[in-house]
Amino acid sequence: MARSEPPIFETDGLTKRYPKVTALSGLTVSAPPGVVGLVGANGAGKSTLIKILLGLVRPTSGRASVLGMDTATQGPRIRQVVGYMPEHDCLPPDVSATEFVVHMARMSGLPYAAARERAADTLRHVGLHEERYRAIGEYSTGMRQRVKLAQALVHDPRLVFLDEPTNGLDPRGRDEMLTLIRRIGSEFGISVLVTSHLLGELERICDHVIVIDGGRLLRSSALRDFTQATSVVAVEVEEGAQALAARLAEAGEAVTVDGRVLAVQVSADDPGRTFDAVRDAVCDLDLRLIRLEQRRGRIEDIFTKEVA
Amino acid sequence: MSEPAAVIHDLGYRRYEGARLSTTASLVVLGVHSLRGAFGLGRTARAKIVPWSLFGIMVLPAAAIMAFTIQFQERMVPFSQYTVVLQTVAAIFLAAQAPYLVAPDLRYRILPLYLSRPLTVPGYVAAKVAALTAAMFLLFAAPITLLFLGEALADLPGRPQVGEYLGALAGALVFAVVLASIGLALASVTPRRGLGVATVIGFYLFTAGASGVASGLLREIGERTAAEWVSMANPFFLVDAVQVTLFGADPVGSGYPAGPWAALITIAVVAVAWAALVLRYRKVVSS
Repeated sequence: MARSEPPIFETDGLTKRYPKVTALSGLTVSAPPGVVGLVGANGAGKSTLIKILLGLVRPTSGRASVLGMDTATQGPRIRQVVGYMPEHDCLPPDVSATEFVVHMARMSGLPYAAARERAADTLRHVGLHEERYRAIGEYSTGMRQRVKLAQALVHDPRLVFLDEPTNGLDPRGRDEMLTLIRRIGSEFGISVLVTSHLLGELERICDHVIVIDGGRLLRSSALRDFTQATSVVAVEVEEGAQALAARLAEAGEAVTVDGRVLAVQVSADDPGRTFDAVRDAVCDLDLRLIRLEQRRGRIEDIFTKEVA
Repeated sequence: MSEPAAVIHDLGYRRYEGARLSTTASLVVLGVHSLRGAFGLGRTARAKIVPWSLFGIMVLPAAAIMAFTIQFQERMVPFSQYTVVLQTVAAIFLAAQAPYLVAPDLRYRILPLYLSRPLTVPGYVAAKVAALTAAMFLLFAAPITLLFLGEALADLPGRPQVGEYLGALAGALVFAVVLASIGLALASVTPRRGLGVATVIGFYLFTAGASGVASGLLREIGERTAAEWVSMANPFFLVDAVQVTLFGADPVGSGYPAGPWAALITIAVVAVAWAALVLRYRKVVSS
């Protein structure tokens, strides 16, 4: 895909010091349109970066721009075309999702009739149906996350900031949320900056990933480049994992055993060779294959690699 | 029509190409939303009990006086003094409703959502102050209007007191601005509504009680001027002093220091309250 479009945001030597901690330290990075993951451990500076990009927090030094607008001087204009889903809970318990999202649409400047229509559409897109007329206080965590997402999308922004959208969700809710975020980027045509402390979940949905740690940039690259080096196939068999591991090692593949699951490093020069070796070994040993899955690099790998 | 009527089309995601109103329009929506909320409108039935009971208690004496005036062709209370006489009811209304306007936004952390939109902190503060000012003004203007109507219908000797009525409405507006500003500044300190209610009513009881006792004592020992100054520590007497000095109203008590002092102090109080609100919310946003 051509990436000649202007970046969704750009920072230059961005530093934010609080009295006790330095949240960001000379961060220089830019993100292309699409779904961009911002990964870092808790306290890495992700939320601070989002607040600066929204023009809500002033950086100690350096500058930042969003969609070509300077955050220091054009905060209100940026916030008109950007949506924000905070990490924390942000919903009143005593109103319905419909009332709340309509109100938030109007706060973004939509006239009443348009706000009602957009709220209904948006709640449907995030997967809230009849329950949207009930008071938010009765919702499950998954439903609350959807309402938070809906209020960020209701005014049809060009870019949304999603801060830890999968927090507190069970595995199924997590999957649904990630699928939804992918759709926002592809079907809705809205660029997304999504944060997480788990690279594993972002790799499924992002075009580009930025990793920060301690307020510094560790890495920023398209996901393709990101995961090439660390591409691994997970192989799960019913029995005989040890025998399979031995056979693959014989064939010259790098294998690690993790319980019943084998992690086989995909050969960088000849990926087909690795897959063929797995297929042949499973057939020869007459094993029952349960799962064969391509895995990408995990955040731990990147951290250890960068540190080393 | 041969087409079946009930077909659901999934139109997919649609972009919004329609109008986007100004930030001021959003602030007006926020203000009206808060004003309605102050009277429990758009909220549960339970939320309506307190504001409307207090509104009733505030208006009821005026209705009775109106009936009396019509019956006996006699004036009972100058318009401008009504609010001061019923200050306890007004203070309870303020204490009960000011926290509703600001505490939930803090408690449920809705404020960051507002501020991730084009609104700014001063805009948010202005919308909330304007909403509570309007609510308080309605609370004060309704009974004053009944008193005026009573006198107009009673056909008292002389012309209807239109000037005095308008002066009392202006006074009611000053009452509303001052009380709303103080009430919100106090209520914004805590995200807990109960604590907010206690803070506001505590502030009123303290200022009213302390200034009442102190000015009484000073008057007792012959320090009349000092007593007049001290009485203005009660926000209701402070604004009454403004009514007396600016709009020529009759004072409720024995009088206030002459000159523009009451008006200047009032402006300072309001300015401090607004600044406190803006600083408070700036801090919330950056943390």
